[in-house]
Amino acid sequence: MGEEYDVVIVGAGITGCGIARELARYDLRILVVDKEEDVCCGASKANNGMVHSGYEPKPGTLKAKLNVRGVELYPRWAAELDFKLVQTGSMVAAFSEEELPALEKFLERGKVNGVPGIEIISGDEARKKEPNLSPEIIAVLWTPSAGYVEVQQVVLALAENAVANGVRFLLGAEVTDVLVEGGRVQGVVTTRGTFRSRYVINAAGVYADKVAEMAGAREFTIHPRRGTLIVFDKREGKHLSCFIGAVPGEYTKGGGPMTTPDGNPLWGPSAIEVADKEDTAVSAEDLRQVIEKDGRFIPNFPTDTVITYFSGNRPATYTEDFFIEPSAKVHGFVNVAGIQSPGVASSPAIAEMVVGIMKEYEPLHERPDFNPYRKRFVPFRERSREEQAALIAADPRFGHIICRCEHVTEAEIVRAIHSAIPARNVDAVKRRTRAGMGRCQGGFCGPRVAAILARELGVPVTAVTKKGPGSELFAGRIEDLRLEKGAAK
Amino acid sequence: MNVDVAVVGGGPAGLAAALAAKEAGAPRVLVLERDFELGGILQQCVHDGFGLLRFGERLPGPAYMQRYIDALAQTDVQVLTDSMVLELTPERILYVASPAAGLLAVQAGAVVLAMGCRERTRNQIWLPGTRPAGIFTAGAVQRYINMEGILPGRRVVILGSGDVGLIMARRLTLEGAEVEGVYEVMPQPGGLTRNIVQCLEDYNIPLHLSHTVVDIHGEKRLTGVTVAQVGPDRRPVPGTERYIPCDTLVLSVGLIPENELSRGAGVELHPVTGGPVVDESMATGLPGVFAAGNAVAVFDLVDYVSATGEVAGRSAARYAAGELRDGPALAVQPGANVSFVLPQRLHPERVHAGVAFYLRVKESKERAQVVVRAGGEVVKTLLQVVVRPPEMISFTLTASELARAGAADLVVSVE
Ligand SMILES: Cc1cc2nc3c(=O)[nH]c(=O)nc-3n(C[C@H](O)[C@H](O)[C@H](O)COP(=O)(O)OP(=O)(O)OC[C@H]3O[C@@H](n4cnc5c(N)ncnc54)[C@H](O)[C@@H]3O)c2cc1C
Ligand SMILES: Cc1cc2nc3c(=O)[nH]c(=O)nc-3n(C[C@H](O)[C@H](O)[C@H](O)COP(=O)(O)OP(=O)(O)OC[C@H]3O[C@@H](n4cnc5c(N)ncnc54)[C@H](O)[C@@H]3O)c2cc1C
Repeated sequence: MGEEYDVVIVGAGITGCGIARELARYDLRILVVDKEEDVCCGASKANNGMVHSGYEPKPGTLKAKLNVRGVELYPRWAAELDFKLVQTGSMVAAFSEEELPALEKFLERGKVNGVPGIEIISGDEARKKEPNLSPEIIAVLWTPSAGYVEVQQVVLALAENAVANGVRFLLGAEVTDVLVEGGRVQGVVTTRGTFRSRYVINAAGVYADKVAEMAGAREFTIHPRRGTLIVFDKREGKHLSCFIGAVPGEYTKGGGPMTTPDGNPLWGPSAIEVADKEDTAVSAEDLRQVIEKDGRFIPNFPTDTVITYFSGNRPATYTEDFFIEPSAKVHGFVNVAGIQSPGVASSPAIAEMVVGIMKEYEPLHERPDFNPYRKRFVPFRERSREEQAALIAADPRFGHIICRCEHVTEAEIVRAIHSAIPARNVDAVKRRTRAGMGRCQGGFCGPRVAAILARELGVPVTAVTKKGPGSELFAGRIEDLRLEKGAAK
Repeated sequence: MNVDVAVVGGGPAGLAAALAAKEAGAPRVLVLERDFELGGILQQCVHDGFGLLRFGERLPGPAYMQRYIDALAQTDVQVLTDSMVLELTPERILYVASPAAGLLAVQAGAVVLAMGCRERTRNQIWLPGTRPAGIFTAGAVQRYINMEGILPGRRVVILGSGDVGLIMARRLTLEGAEVEGVYEVMPQPGGLTRNIVQCLEDYNIPLHLSHTVVDIHGEKRLTGVTVAQVGPDRRPVPGTERYIPCDTLVLSVGLIPENELSRGAGVELHPVTGGPVVDESMATGLPGVFAAGNAVAVFDLVDYVSATGEVAGRSAARYAAGELRDGPALAVQPGANVSFVLPQRLHPERVHAGVAFYLRVKESKERAQVVVRAGGEVVKTLLQVVVRPPEMISFTLTASELARAGAADLVVSVE
């Protein structure tokens, strides 16, 4: 039998990591487990990173409440955890008179939900803020409080701060069973051991229904809804500063062009129900829809500057609302499920709400030594030439540019591999440093990143993976393969 | 640090430029190369066939480069390897990061941009499907096999019949991988005929023209691809899909001149070549900044690349010495069946011996004629047995031919 904890959190997405970080304030032994080799591998790695202002959810829903509260809390998270939060507002566009009532409806909803500064402005006023908008847009619902984050940076910040405050992360550990005795949760069984705990928090994204079922506490079902996003070259980042979406209709459900905090134009997402939770393929049809739909907002955008595209699955429930409740069937088992959009925007409020649920189970004692601060390492590419010179003088590995598109240095990659949440594969290095996220998509730096990973992890380069076991990059060393062949003969 | 000529890139174009700048009398010439060694992409091109025009021999890539590296060693040209140029300013200051030298600011009298090209990725051709390990560009595979001693996969499908892809089909086969086939979306191959014969036919590797990959399968490592035939509109023909199990997909779907530095400095780029607009001295639109090789346009013979490097290097030396200030120029335009022609601008009064032109056709044709016109007047014609898009055409326009053009813009067509 493995170690004992007070709380085990299943899922290291933004939900699980947010909860871990907020619970770290209290005198609790906390373990976060995830089946993937890194944090932020589920829906949290494939979304717009938009901190929605809160006009969209139906008033009275949990989504409406937590979204608006989340927006309120984000600046504090950003200040304490030192991640980029860019607050440029967001827009919903009407192209015709027929779409105006829909804007009015969202204006009303926004007011009821408590969205600050929400208003409808004319197309011309909107073009003053965003000069490249289509001249065909006649009116815009404007919400100044909307913001944007790089979700992987937020999740890493949360996880690192949690670790600094004593939370343990066990990655590459899939939960295969939840232990329940006498109606009380007792812990989890994972592919890397069994861990006893008094509480289990289920933040398993699209798999939350499966994990709940393991506990005999399935009170909802999840049906994955795939969304595809397209990223363009940073050099086209000037077209737009905020998000602009369409009035949700049959075909134009949500989505629209925006610019990420790192400066890349991002289009999408589409929305399509899929049968398989793992189905994050991108179809030609998804791509066609996003290009056609989002192209309406900014005519003349050069879509041939595409860098990449990917899909994520939203963990939708049939009620379409978040499902955040202590199980009625199993004491100590808390479901934090159905966290689809605006799950990113709501995450600080979700964490706050889960702390509230925990306090109902038992009084929690604040730790006097809790440190809410985490300092981001400012990347080489964002520094002044003087600072860059000083970095190289102190450590020559900063002078060694590995990713030529994003100007990521060897020192930063080594740092990522030995950080509080160590990067153990190529995609994990990419999430932390942006190496391979540029226009050549790792064509040049791939071999170098693989070699550094091999060296730092002390494994042969042929053991290096793209995203965990099973995704090995290479068949093998040519020498070894020749020997094998020789031996076979 | 102050230099007369700074060369960005130590590949064939850059080294030819550095040597020429030195020979033309530039006192301080500096080569900046981000890789550990000089040679550029030719370091990994171990097959032979380089230098036929230049040296009358068929050399392997590294041997071709060695001649330049050796020649360079006889000069006082300064070389910094493992040194990446981060930025070029319009005032010709280069910011360079290097583990050994730190962060350098180099003020150059003239600059030669010779950054080469990069490969188009799966996303730039909008391939749908999953995102597993096992998808590589042909150049990356070449580097893995020839320089790192690593075999990327065992059962391979190649998409695109560009030269690098064809060469890798042979290489992968020789290293024990099974190449299921090469698929090409166009009705004709993208690479040189000699490579089709020597790399595919000699090894019984099938080439499927008018075909493309329409889906990619596998979550962690590639498990297979679906291919389909395409119609004349290049869209997949429903019902022709075929699933091929494989662990590796190699892409040889085009090269893009590398011009982030040029763009950052404000150098005008050409929409078709993807490289700087240049004149007969390989000068870009930005004063004192010259360009050469694959950074200007993708050449198929390294001999041409070296030639443009020499012109750029010589010109850069003259600029640094106070000559070659900009004056009125003619435009050189692509006419019928020409996708691009270099140079795009011309100063007739500067041409003494002759100007090398490079062009690519849009469509194949037998018994064709290259025609240069000035204001409707034919100033030169050149017979070609056959013209094909993958095979670049080069010819020289002499000073006397150019004199016939007068001040009229030139139009180059293939008829
Ligand atoms: C295309 C798209 C765009 C979106 N845009 C936005 C947006 O702009 N703004 C916004 O607010 N929201 C947006 N969302 C929603 C947002 O991404 C999600 O609400 C949020 O990421 C959910 O986070 P999570 O931590 O709950 O889930 P996830 O990130 O999916 O994390 C769940 C984790 O649980 C792990 N897990 C599952 N099963 C097990 C098991 N058995 N054992 C161990 N671990 C397990 C998984 O590996 C995963 O890491 C978008 C979603 C999509 C798909
Ligand atoms: C993968 C690949 C395979 C090829 N195979 C063949 C072949 O088999 N036969 C053939 O005839 N041609 C081949 N070519 C074409 C070949 O590239 C050219 O013939 C020739 O090598 C181009 O020379 P170059 O000097 O312009 O570019 P390169 O050889 O690419 O050299 C450019 C150099 O610039 C450096 N550089 C770029 N940016 C910076 C910076 N910011 N700071 C410092 N240094 C920088 C690069 O590291 C590189 O060394 C191939 C091209 C590619 C991409």
